[in-house]
Amino acid sequence: MDFEYLLQLILNGLFVGSFYGLVALGYSMVYGIIKLLNFAHGDIYMLGAFSGYTLLTIGAGVIGGQASIAVLVVIMLIAMVLTGTVGLILERVAYRPLRGAPRLSVLITAVGASFALEYGIAVSFGPNPRVYPVRLGNEAFTIFGARLTYAQLAMMLIAVALMIGLDQAVRRTRSGRAMRAISQDPKACLLMGINVDSVITRTFFIGSALAGAAGVMSGAYYGKIDFLMGFIIGLKAFTAAVIGGIGNLRGAVLGAIVLGLLESFGTAWLGSEWRDVFAFGFLILFLTVRPTGLLGERVTERV
Amino acid sequence: MIGKTRIGLGVTAVGVALALASCGGGGLTSDSQGGAAATTGDILLGMVTPLSGSSAAIGPYMKNGAQLAINELNASGGVLGRQLKLVAEDEGCDPKTAAAAAAKLVTAGISVSVGGYCSSATLPTLSIFGKANIPMIIPAANSTDLIKDKLPNVFLLNGTGAQQAQAAADFMKSAGLKAAALVDDNTSYSKDITTRTAKDLEGQSTKVVNQQSVTAGEQDYSAAVTAILRANPDIVYWTGYYQEGGLIIKQLRAAGYKGKIMVADGSVDKQLVTIAGKDNAQGVLATMTQTPQTIPGGETWIASYKKAFNADPGPYSTQSYDAVRVAAEAIKNAGNTNGKDVIAALEKIDGFKIFSGSLKFTPEHTLTNGGFDILVVKGDDFALNN
Repeated sequence: MDFEYLLQLILNGLFVGSFYGLVALGYSMVYGIIKLLNFAHGDIYMLGAFSGYTLLTIGAGVIGGQASIAVLVVIMLIAMVLTGTVGLILERVAYRPLRGAPRLSVLITAVGASFALEYGIAVSFGPNPRVYPVRLGNEAFTIFGARLTYAQLAMMLIAVALMIGLDQAVRRTRSGRAMRAISQDPKACLLMGINVDSVITRTFFIGSALAGAAGVMSGAYYGKIDFLMGFIIGLKAFTAAVIGGIGNLRGAVLGAIVLGLLESFGTAWLGSEWRDVFAFGFLILFLTVRPTGLLGERVTERV
Repeated sequence: MIGKTRIGLGVTAVGVALALASCGGGGLTSDSQGGAAATTGDILLGMVTPLSGSSAAIGPYMKNGAQLAINELNASGGVLGRQLKLVAEDEGCDPKTAAAAAAKLVTAGISVSVGGYCSSATLPTLSIFGKANIPMIIPAANSTDLIKDKLPNVFLLNGTGAQQAQAAADFMKSAGLKAAALVDDNTSYSKDITTRTAKDLEGQSTKVVNQQSVTAGEQDYSAAVTAILRANPDIVYWTGYYQEGGLIIKQLRAAGYKGKIMVADGSVDKQLVTIAGKDNAQGVLATMTQTPQTIPGGETWIASYKKAFNADPGPYSTQSYDAVRVAAEAIKNAGNTNGKDVIAALEKIDGFKIFSGSLKFTPEHTLTNGGFDILVVKGDDFALNN
């Protein structure tokens, strides 16, 4: 295997991984704080893609179909606020009333929320795929013989910027500290006077906004969106979060990159049809050796 | 996810239960009950077709095509003095939904089935209709898997995967192409074509340099694209449906692929051009059964279709139209709607005019001649490649 090909595979893996990473962060954050597998998270990603689509369709008259990265970033930020708000409503309606309920019940409301979002969009936008009204060009450059389009580079940079932003926010701000505290012991936090509910709400907002950003990016880059597009990526992002150690944010990103690379190399070595067998076979082996994931902390099971 | 699987199983269970219930009834009372052999009232024709899901765009084309034939037949007095009526059920291109839909049609008492688009979704309906003794004239689905079991009630009105693969292989050889990459989406229809194309190309001047299956429903096919580019083909033949087809064309071009791209009939849809982007899609070739737009003298037919439905006909409108006409012809020749008699009449049809030529079924119940054309994307849509 020559170097150029190897580098191309790595770039492919990193690119796919950056999408997985943005979605995986939301899974990991929510799990870290309230130990909930938010199965509707992939559909928030889909919702982000559709918000971006609607905004671009409305705004097409204003911007005249020209998609500069700057316009897309603005659209992405608005879509992030929208999906963040949906995430917040979702938490308030579907999850908060079940806070004390058995974990299985919350899991089922999450699956319910996922279906409600998918088929809600199917009803309002129709079951046929939609195509983004703007296109990113095919212009590409080569580094050491591997090819990357400028659009891909821009997407990866935006993803990295969002990830670093989140990481800094969680590590350095007061509410970030509150999040970390709640993930360790929500009861003690309540006793210490932290408004646990509002921090959880904020967590949902941020996680959903990131998934929404990934949705808009995917819509703009791949061009095609449909109401079931969140299903597979939701599953992959969840996998990435588990590889990295669910609940750990840097782990989620690392896990996403590992999964992206596994898929890329799996396809190259064994062919597309074996890609998932390779990636998920590795996942099983890896988890038997290290059940807490790459950066996962010791699991303290709460009773 | 867990939820999806469980619900899916539930639907299958209901479908199987319905099928069993209706077959039980039919078996006990052979021809006195169940619409199949009723002698008065409307003759019901059933159609299982995608009205939702990834191929939802096709359903209305098929439904309208069939309805147009029914309108014409009814206007000229119907069949055996009875009017025809179409009952359409959604299959969503999903085997579980299709099985339930077929069971529903059996219960509704249809005489002939004139539906079937996605081969993988049509497969489970074969035995459901078969047990109820209902002949199937399948207008679109064309995987060779459908006729593998030689079920007496199954007739294919579309060219088969084998005929399509042959057309693709012939084109590659005659165009002097040296290296082909074959990509499918791992469904019955799609894989059938790649496998057969590879077989047809064995020992020929065109070599298969890369063959792979991708997963449908994803957004990113860069890994597959990188593998294709590395094999350095002159032509990439995609045999899946248009949604993934559009994405793969776009990603191939973005990755700098300059060679030819060809798609199979499942990808022949204007949406393919929209998804791939107009610039990327120009010159993309396709193996396709005849459409009204490519048939000489199809304009009058298109005009009456437009008048009836206020929409343009699309892929499989003509085949569905023909399926109804073939069904009517067979019922007329049989003199009744009993499944066995209609099947015998279908086997005897010789020289009945349909869009793809004169109809005579082979002993395998496929068309004698497949009639595949090579199309090419010009502007926003496909046109005949000259």
